[in-house]
Amino acid sequence: MPSNWGYVFAAYGIAAAALLTYWRHLARRTRALAARRAAKPRAA
Amino acid sequence: MTRALGWLAVLGLVVGLAAGFGYAPREAVQGNVQRIMYLHVPAVLTAYLAFGLVLTGSIGFLATRRPGWDRLAAAAGEIGVLFTGLTIVSGSIWGKPTWGTWWTWDARLTSTAVLFCVYVGYLLLRSLIEDPDARARYAAVVGILGAVNIPIVHFSVKWWRALHQPSTILGPSPSPIDPAIGLALFVNWVAFTLLFAYFLARRMEIARLEEQT
Repeated sequence: MPSNWGYVFAAYGIAAAALLTYWRHLARRTRALAARRAAKPRAA
Repeated sequence: MTRALGWLAVLGLVVGLAAGFGYAPREAVQGNVQRIMYLHVPAVLTAYLAFGLVLTGSIGFLATRRPGWDRLAAAAGEIGVLFTGLTIVSGSIWGKPTWGTWWTWDARLTSTAVLFCVYVGYLLLRSLIEDPDARARYAAVVGILGAVNIPIVHFSVKWWRALHQPSTILGPSPSPIDPAIGLALFVNWVAFTLLFAYFLARRMEIARLEEQT
């Protein structure tokens, strides 16, 4: 039986990359919205 | 609270990796490639949970017209697409050494691909409509109709003759899985659920900020 570790690491590597990318997207979006909200002049 | 949930999810994923690669034995027939199941199975269960919440949020919005329900549906839909994508990719990578092919038009694979396309369409629809109330209403209808596909995906291996094996976790009979492998699957399912809850909280916060700015 071949070890097939290459397939295993490929699957976990792609999953880790996708989850990290999504997490970074959420973090960036939150920061951008918070900055836009802070820069917005408040109504008197 | 959200930050604590995030760290709990990270801890869960680390324990899940240790369970999948250290504690669980090498599967007797498939060998190491079976370890992809500690990613593939929790990913699809998380996608089911996400699309179940899209359904809940959609019904909740149409019944009450409260925007919070729409935020829940939108956030869960986006994360559900991510986890369905992971399910398809990890299953394809597992399929190559096990079945000898990256893809086949088997009932389970095809219905999962349809599920993915339906919810990508759901997100596209949301991005195309500018009026918040119309967007929420149309998206809720698609969110409810799209959920019809979830039982089709799950029961496809029973209803049609499929290459994909029948359900071993959510099947009608007691699971034939070795206890160590079952425990590793359970730990990873908990970790993915925690990660989903963390992403959901972050994504709903973004939706709330978008409405205020």
